[in-house]
Amino acid sequence: MRRLTTDILVIGGGSTGTGVAWDAALRGFRVVLVEKRDLTHGTTGRYHGLLHSGGRYAVKDPQSAIECIEENRILRRTHTHCIEDTSGFFVVTPEDEGDFPDRFKAGCAKVGIPCEEVPVKAALRREPLLNPRISRVFEVPDGSADSFLAAHVTAQAAQQAGAQILTYHEVIGLLTEGSEGARRVSGARVRNMVSDEEVQIDAALTINASGAWAGKLAALADIPVRVIPGKGVMVAVNHRLVNTVINRCKMPADGDILVPVHTVAIIGTTDERVADPEMLSIEPWEVELMLAEGEKLVPGFSHARILRAWAGVRPLYQEGYAGDSRDATRALALLDHQQRDGVAGFLTITGGKWTTFRLMAEKTVDKACIQLGVERACRTADTPVPGVEQGHYWLGHRLHEVEEERLQGDLVCECELVTRTMLEQAAANNPTVTLDDLRRDVRLGMGPCQGGFCTFRAAGILQELRMQAPEALPASNGDGPVWEVGYMQSPRHNVQPKPAVLNTAHSPLEHPNLLLRDFLQERWRGVTPVLWGRQLKQERLDELIYLSVMNIDHLPPDEDASPLTDFWQFDTTPGAGRATRDEAPISNFQSPAKE
Amino acid sequence: MLDLLVIGAGLAGLTAALRAAEAGLRVKVIAKGMGSLYWATGAIDLLGYVGVADRAVTSPWARMAELDAGHPYRRLGEARIRQALMWFQQSGAVQALGYTGAGEENVLTPSPAGAWRPTWLAPAGQRAGAANDARPMVIVGFQGMRDFYPHLIARNLSAQGQVVRAALLSWSMLSAQRDRNNAQLAELLDDVRTQQRLIDALKPVVKPGERVGLPAILGRYAHPQVLAALQAGLNTAVFEIPTLPPNVPGIRLATALRHALEARGVRVEIGMEAIGFHAAAGVIESVESATSARPLKHRANAFLLATGGVLGGGFNSDHTGHFWETVFDLPLTVPQDRRQWFRPGFLDPQGQPAFRGGVAVNDAFQPVDAAGKVVYANLWAAGGLLAHMDPILERSLEAVAIASAVAAVERIASVSVALPR
Repeated sequence: MRRLTTDILVIGGGSTGTGVAWDAALRGFRVVLVEKRDLTHGTTGRYHGLLHSGGRYAVKDPQSAIECIEENRILRRTHTHCIEDTSGFFVVTPEDEGDFPDRFKAGCAKVGIPCEEVPVKAALRREPLLNPRISRVFEVPDGSADSFLAAHVTAQAAQQAGAQILTYHEVIGLLTEGSEGARRVSGARVRNMVSDEEVQIDAALTINASGAWAGKLAALADIPVRVIPGKGVMVAVNHRLVNTVINRCKMPADGDILVPVHTVAIIGTTDERVADPEMLSIEPWEVELMLAEGEKLVPGFSHARILRAWAGVRPLYQEGYAGDSRDATRALALLDHQQRDGVAGFLTITGGKWTTFRLMAEKTVDKACIQLGVERACRTADTPVPGVEQGHYWLGHRLHEVEEERLQGDLVCECELVTRTMLEQAAANNPTVTLDDLRRDVRLGMGPCQGGFCTFRAAGILQELRMQAPEALPASNGDGPVWEVGYMQSPRHNVQPKPAVLNTAHSPLEHPNLLLRDFLQERWRGVTPVLWGRQLKQERLDELIYLSVMNIDHLPPDEDASPLTDFWQFDTTPGAGRATRDEAPISNFQSPAKE
Repeated sequence: MLDLLVIGAGLAGLTAALRAAEAGLRVKVIAKGMGSLYWATGAIDLLGYVGVADRAVTSPWARMAELDAGHPYRRLGEARIRQALMWFQQSGAVQALGYTGAGEENVLTPSPAGAWRPTWLAPAGQRAGAANDARPMVIVGFQGMRDFYPHLIARNLSAQGQVVRAALLSWSMLSAQRDRNNAQLAELLDDVRTQQRLIDALKPVVKPGERVGLPAILGRYAHPQVLAALQAGLNTAVFEIPTLPPNVPGIRLATALRHALEARGVRVEIGMEAIGFHAAAGVIESVESATSARPLKHRANAFLLATGGVLGGGFNSDHTGHFWETVFDLPLTVPQDRRQWFRPGFLDPQGQPAFRGGVAVNDAFQPVDAAGKVVYANLWAAGGLLAHMDPILERSLEAVAIASAVAAVERIASVSVALPR
């Protein structure tokens, strides 16, 4: 078994984990981060993309509000290109009666959130689709964030500072030593999900940043951590109904946030306490609720073309809390297991929200310094990640570059304006195991056709790259490629790329038919809860392409499974025959469901 | 006054209009868009898969008894389907495309993903790619072409025992401009100079005895000549493989049918979405189409609905689970509950229940309600909107369209003398 030795082992590749790795590496620690799938596969990649101003918590949870506005200001400097400066409205709809608006205004003033009342007429001029019956509008510095890009550039910054980022490495055991009462965690055993190789990582300190999975992880060392998994459902419509983040001016509830993200608008969310963070299924009532609430913000919302619905599970944590997940605190929770459970060498960081990920990392590494007996100041608040010189994201950015460079003929994904070289560079320079990884890298398949055209192209291009790759690549030592993600989103930057060399050794990338099937099945999973009208027509076109024209359901079988197979098989739409992990392996192109 | 108004310009609508014109009916086609032929492979699929079996159907006729009792094929019977397909194959309209089959069995030709796809009639351009041919293949594509990947095709055909290799030619020999779609590329190859450049580039690539597979861009209007020139220039068999849509062979078929209709004086009016109708005493008097000013009325003695299913735009649906036929609001067999529309797998071998439902008809191809009663005395239906089948899943899309359109029109022609004028 391969062995690695490090100062700090970070478990979890979401915003928190990458943030901790970045912070710790900047402070000069040797850092290894392990993530069982791709970065942001968990909750980070499944949130609505709201960069909070803190307004949402100004009345209910002032401490959270203060953290949000402070971090909002910092992230605009350190992660500029991951943020769109959309601004945000808090609108009072006819349903939102009472004194809340005044309490909201006072709350913002108290915690220092810039908040200005905008005349309704002026607000409607800026956002003409908003409900004309709104009575008051407050503007706050909300923004819209690209959590995929942010975690990737944070990981790259960490790597540049010396951290080792191991994706598709699942923790299979925590190493503990000492007897009861004087136990310590001394690292972890992990398994490479692609090669099946096991690695032992010895660490002076292990940080559990696995979010909603924190309880499961801590249980590996027999430490009880009760995370409250709060499932939130989100629905994306196919264009930007609004260009400003819209919040309902009332106590936080379901379906009261509408966020413009890239080319779409996302409404969220619900908050359902679920038994397991892997329970991501979407119930019809949840979709209906999002549509009904959307109508209150934008009349006609339920007739808009809905692209997709998905769920993320919040890692809420409240010591001793047993109530509803909606009312559980959004504050971060840093557990020092030495104090709490008498187990040294182990910290858990959970709770919180995307906007405060950097602060969570700072507090965690502060604690790590104490445990490791060193004094090193946090530097993340003043250290920009790679790519910030591009400035804030703006909607026309890809289109502008595609037109300037005349790249229309090189688009492999017309919906999201992904060029062939963007795809090739992402596949070669970021760890890539499935097409879903490329989706998170360059937004492949996230537009209206939901992979209808680009899935085939991506499989074809990867096959060409593979055929062109040198016969014998240097054996991978598991450290993975050098991440290059700062300009991953830029068509222009990838016009004259360095040759893309794909390392497919023992990877699902060797199996194009598996790539095709898995990505199509994964996309299907997210469209079925919202499939009607024009999106249903689109899906039937995708069937015409992949069944009638391509006949991909009768391709010669490849490998049975990739890490993505496990994902779409496990979690499927309810009411249609839920698949479980216990079922026998399936044949290559057939669904696991049996009637 | 028209004898027949056809609504829809897909394969069903166009073949119905052609058959009606041949039968001497005054006919017109109105349609919202160009029809879904543009997406399809240009081959005529009859029946490729039955049930959840993994193997392609070899003899379609022998397997039709396994289809749903309400399936259009079961209503038509083998003889009428054969007659309709024979009529199509021998029609002057598509003569230049050279549709041929393999006797009593399906033909297997390569798909753009490298699967063998079962079809009944392949256009001449695709015939030399058939599986029952001992010659090795070289699949040739163009560097940077978005919709065709020879290495993927070769890899998968090879895994199924075909001797095949892949090669890429430079893009610049086709065009100096990168932004060209498949139809534009095909037009470039209508030019003999481009053909010659392609022949010259292929010569050093093709090994003796190999048949040559190319993306289906071998000519937009001069396809037979381009094919002949390449075969002569390379002195070997050349075939097309469909691409990611839009598919030029499908466009050629649509164009051929449109030209034949034009030659007979039949108007095909695109951009005329049927949005309403007038009926009295169970008889349709007119259909209205959308224009920029006011709805336009189309009167006819008989009406043929060939708007397709979900893909063609014949059906629409909403979040409440309402699923409806868009012109006449005909009764549909689709479950009116969203929870029953889909299975968990995109590629579930049983298909999606939402796509199996449609317009139920009687043996005369007239829409009927749940009780089996004819809905409108002068309304017929054909093509992808018919119930009790999933033509994409079965790979029966084209033959269902042709056979049901011909059957409906023959019925209309036989009763049209009796219809009010």
